[in-house]
Amino acid sequence: MLVLIYYPTFVLSPGVLGHLNMLEMEASNLKQQDLRQSSCEEELNATLQALLRKRDQLQVEIKANTSLQKMRSLLDRTGVPCERNEDVDDQEDGSDNSQLLLMMAKHTQLKDLLHAHHLIGGYDVLQTRKGKGVCVSLATAYEGVYLETYNLEIDLGSNLRICRHNIPPFIPLERLVTQGNMQTDIRDFLDTLSQYLNAYAGRKQQLHLTKEIHSSVQVAESNALCTILVLMFTVPGEKAGATLCTLQYADHTQCLPTRVNIQSEDTALASSPQWKKNQALLLETPLHTALVTMKKTGSIA
Amino acid sequence: MDDSTNRILQRLIRRIPSQMFQTMLGKWAHLSREDLHSLDFTQPKWVLTEHLLAHCEEKGLTVKHITELEMIYIIENPNQGMWHGFQLLDAEEDAPSIELTQFKEQFKANLTELIRHVSIKIKKHTDEAIWIRVAWGDNFTKPNHLKPTYVVHHLQTPYVFVTGLTSKHKPLLNQALVLATRYGSMKDAHLSGRNLTAIRDLLMRQYQQVFPTKHPKPLQEKNPVPRNPNIEKEQAENTENRLQMACEAFGDGTLPQLQKAVYKLETKFRDNSNKTLTGREEPFRGVVEFASTNLLESLRHCVSSGMASTPVTPLLSSITQKGRNYFVITDKGV
Repeated sequence: MLVLIYYPTFVLSPGVLGHLNMLEMEASNLKQQDLRQSSCEEELNATLQALLRKRDQLQVEIKANTSLQKMRSLLDRTGVPCERNEDVDDQEDGSDNSQLLLMMAKHTQLKDLLHAHHLIGGYDVLQTRKGKGVCVSLATAYEGVYLETYNLEIDLGSNLRICRHNIPPFIPLERLVTQGNMQTDIRDFLDTLSQYLNAYAGRKQQLHLTKEIHSSVQVAESNALCTILVLMFTVPGEKAGATLCTLQYADHTQCLPTRVNIQSEDTALASSPQWKKNQALLLETPLHTALVTMKKTGSIA
Repeated sequence: MDDSTNRILQRLIRRIPSQMFQTMLGKWAHLSREDLHSLDFTQPKWVLTEHLLAHCEEKGLTVKHITELEMIYIIENPNQGMWHGFQLLDAEEDAPSIELTQFKEQFKANLTELIRHVSIKIKKHTDEAIWIRVAWGDNFTKPNHLKPTYVVHHLQTPYVFVTGLTSKHKPLLNQALVLATRYGSMKDAHLSGRNLTAIRDLLMRQYQQVFPTKHPKPLQEKNPVPRNPNIEKEQAENTENRLQMACEAFGDGTLPQLQKAVYKLETKFRDNSNKTLTGREEPFRGVVEFASTNLLESLRHCVSSGMASTPVTPLLSSITQKGRNYFVITDKGV
């Protein structure tokens, strides 16, 4: 009786030799399977190790974050980190770690403060040149409209030094730097500078709106810093003569004038009650809105 | 009108190019509309000169009126001649609140005190610039209107721009300006060029400067222009970095048109291969001059295309940062 067993690559040869061949093949197959299994096992082991390491790392991060948050909430509430007496296992890390945590908490607090400041339209600080300098952007706005942004690039050395800026030359930056407290209290310095810039932007915007809206009012004189303004009104009526109104903004950090002077060919005009009211109005309200009121009451054309 | 007045008028008309002639005359207050219409501008210039001379004789116009025309022409076309920038130092307490009439009176009074025969004309331009024209004479001669000095100043800024000033009259003008603006002294800003608008923009920082921002890339449009997919820019990041650094050093958009940058060297010679010159005690004097029709534009292109190394050397970026184009380099620095 002939038994035909098909192997894919070998020709069946009868007898002992054939049987030995078959056994050899089976053995090599088994060896390969073993190898494959062990390599699989190694891979799985390696993955396991990696996952374990990652888990440990994440656990450490979680721990650091929770202590950071605790520190940060303490800082926010009291402004001073008080002694920690809760976590027993933190004490063995020593005071270095707690110092580091304190610095990190302060850092996040500062970043949040800057972000909030940026959102309300104040100044924005950006690190440049890999931490050797900062760039401060001061935004200006008037009546809810964003106007120009001015920038200062400051060198962080032992002394703070402004290396570059685009602040117009009639803003007294040099005086604020030398007479002010830029080295000791930069927030105060930036606040003052922001005041000057915002006031200038406000005055410039008032002049711009006046020119746009009130074309009947002529601007006889103005200057670049917008601190002196001479306007010419036409007064309706028979005594229609030229009336000159001089506005002086002696306080450069304000948007409203400090002195209003009215001169007219009709000498009685300036002392009339209506114009006394107008004078007071110009001292208290922004120029373009004051002119609207004056037009409504018929003081000017 | 005497001979010298005639000559001044002729010189001025020769100077004004034909195409601007009509507009300039239109702005001059001493020529009425009918007279302007009666002049035929298609005729050659010398014919027009004759007409104008006759007209001025008729009206009895003097040098004063003619210089008005000259001033109008110069204010409209300031970019000729060589302008020099000066900086006022040591502001006094009331310097920021100087106003126009005060300045005018003070300047005129000071200058006439210093030199008796001088002709001063002050005009305020619409962009808040004060233009002063000074014709100098001395104690014995009348002012020379053929070589006037023009001064431009913006109130409440410490900068003054001057053209046509001789060294003889420089200290007089300095003193008058310093007293009128209530500053302590005036020094040379080491910035000069043919283009007044350029040096003014550079010193008063009116060009578009670039600063590092949180979001440096402009916002992407939702439907960008489709680019050819077969073209890919290698080193796109490097190119962007270089462009950013070039713009930070020199500015963005249209740059002020400077023609020259001069570096005067007073450093010791250092090349070891040249035995005769190395090792000398005195500095090796040399002058390096960069010249171009638009110098800042060329320098910016050098940096952004990679021809000049980045970060931009402070020798070049000082031109915009310090607002100068004349530097003296010693061994200790600029």
